[in-house]
Amino acid sequence: MFAHIFKYRMKCLLKDKETMFWTLLFPLALGIFFNLAFSGIGKGETFQTIPVAVVDNEEYRNDTVFQTILQEVSSGEDPLFHLHVVSEQVASKMLEDNQISGYFVAGSPVTMVVKTTGMRQSIIRSFLDTYIQNMSLVSTVMQKNPKALKALTDDLFHTVSYLKEVSATDAKPDNVASYYYVLIAMACFYGGFQGSRDISDIQANNTDTAARLNLTPVSKMKTFLVYMSASLLIHYIKMLLLLSFLVFVIKVNFGGKVGFILLTTLLGSIAGLSFGAFVSALLKKSEGIKIAVIVGTSMLMSFLAGMMYQGMKYIIQRNVPVLSYLNPLNLLTDAYYSLYYYDTYTRYAVNMGCLALFIPVFCIGTYLIVRRRKYASL
Amino acid sequence: MVINVKNLVKRYGDLVALDHLSFQVKEGEIFGLLGPNGSGKTTAINCILSLLEYERGDIEIFGKPMTPDAYDIKRQIGIVMQNVAVYTELTVYENIDYFCGLYVPDKALRKKLVQEAIEFTGLNDFSRFYPKKLSGGLLRRLNIACGIAHKPKLIFMDEPTVAIDPQSRNRILDGIMELNRQGATVVYTSHYMEEVEQICSRIMILDKGKAIALGTKEQLKDMITLGEKITVEAFSITDEQIQSLKSIPNVLSVHYSGNLLVIQSGKGRNNLEAVLDFIKKEGIQFGKIYSELPTLNDVFLEITGKELRD
Repeated sequence: MFAHIFKYRMKCLLKDKETMFWTLLFPLALGIFFNLAFSGIGKGETFQTIPVAVVDNEEYRNDTVFQTILQEVSSGEDPLFHLHVVSEQVASKMLEDNQISGYFVAGSPVTMVVKTTGMRQSIIRSFLDTYIQNMSLVSTVMQKNPKALKALTDDLFHTVSYLKEVSATDAKPDNVASYYYVLIAMACFYGGFQGSRDISDIQANNTDTAARLNLTPVSKMKTFLVYMSASLLIHYIKMLLLLSFLVFVIKVNFGGKVGFILLTTLLGSIAGLSFGAFVSALLKKSEGIKIAVIVGTSMLMSFLAGMMYQGMKYIIQRNVPVLSYLNPLNLLTDAYYSLYYYDTYTRYAVNMGCLALFIPVFCIGTYLIVRRRKYASL
Repeated sequence: MVINVKNLVKRYGDLVALDHLSFQVKEGEIFGLLGPNGSGKTTAINCILSLLEYERGDIEIFGKPMTPDAYDIKRQIGIVMQNVAVYTELTVYENIDYFCGLYVPDKALRKKLVQEAIEFTGLNDFSRFYPKKLSGGLLRRLNIACGIAHKPKLIFMDEPTVAIDPQSRNRILDGIMELNRQGATVVYTSHYMEEVEQICSRIMILDKGKAIALGTKEQLKDMITLGEKITVEAFSITDEQIQSLKSIPNVLSVHYSGNLLVIQSGKGRNNLEAVLDFIKKEGIQFGKIYSELPTLNDVFLEITGKELRD
């Protein structure tokens, strides 16, 4: 009997286009969208040499200190400036045409001209401020020990960090990966669509086929368990497909703990299915409203777990830490996160333990609601 | 007795859907539940099948109390629901096989039963079709096939012919009589009195959750005072002649309008002969004459004061 019901349930679920869309195609599309949106995110953080000019006037030609400093910061492997020595007219024209970000005019004091404000202009301004503040020191070094000028400019114009970034694991910091962890966690919870359908298909007051099933010599709970087994198998396969797509196509790094990643995805799929079943059993509303509630709740949980804004996860953690543990989707996301970043399993175990607690809550709640054997109305 | 219902009471809030309903269904009969929409037919069936809670009453099927987990009883029951209850993702064959498999675990036997159900309902050419591709009539037939494939001893059919073409309706009614000939007891609900008259051995008329009449169609018609209605296509009848017609024994009413003379007689013999004698004697020119016996609608009308189709 199990095999008979299981076989036909699989056929029904595999041909259910709406569920297929929400549980597989939508997360895949979202993954592609994330990939497009995040593909340029690292480039903005790479420093690029700033094109500047200095007006080739008499003051500049006489100011050997300033000349030397500018040449120092405009040479080497990663120069700060790409320097043009031109007339004021040319400098002004170059600035107008956006060929340079600003230009210096030597004198007492040295001034700078920029067209707009921005990161590059701030760097030019910072350089000039540092130069003016330390101009006398530079002059003295130039006169008494010119060979020490290189070391001085390095000190003045390059900040030294006394903190060294040391990774706790071999994992490279990846700001984008967290978004994909939320994505797969959300997809796991979209298994709620299948859980919801499983409930609708056994409750006689929901669908005609369920009413017919309730009149057969097979117990409702037995049918439900078979339905959930079929749903879990299909949903888990979908999640593995999504995981494979993220890892092999989009190149998201989930770390090397494959067994734990698969276990996390399985637990997430079970939690998602039981969540949907619970919502469907709890709401005595139409199928559309149930789906809307599942989508809405999953989206809200995804938002709080950092899907739309990564900082949200930390805001919640800092201000309402208990909410982090009450959001099963956040627990799932954090489980993937800790698998990637940590060598130890303490944080992972806490996340998985808390997530696992939700499953009996959803299942017992569902059982208590659907166990009724007769209905007040159909 | 196959079904024994005693004092069944079902309420929806303040509305009494079934009001102390009692009846029995005998083995081998086609038992009709006739009543207008909202009279309680489907509610009665759902209570009997233990789908619905009810306030009071005792229900026995095959001599045993009917409960939601009375699986031995359920195994012998087939249900054809008012709405088509099939899976859109499964083909005709798969739907029948799925529901049949919930009763019959043996694969070889099931294959044979499914094939028989397909042939019985005339779905041979559509077994690989999905429900979305079927017409309303074919869908109804699929609905029936899913309910009867496992060869149940007792079949509930809740308005199986709603919204279908006459050809499919006749096929379904013939099928029900064939199932009955094969030994199945059938409980058939409808608000189409012609169908119930055509196939049911006994009929219970329901109105507002109450059984207002129960018996064979002849017994039901005997309950009322009306006899046949005689309609004559007649020309140039005077008021005096109409008054004379009214004085004929057993004539209850006479109406004349648009060359149609309608005479409603009471129960009794030779009413048509008496009217024809009068027409001949008066030399009234006439065309077609036809006589109609009272219908179940007349029974319903006389008992409740309203039409069955209201």
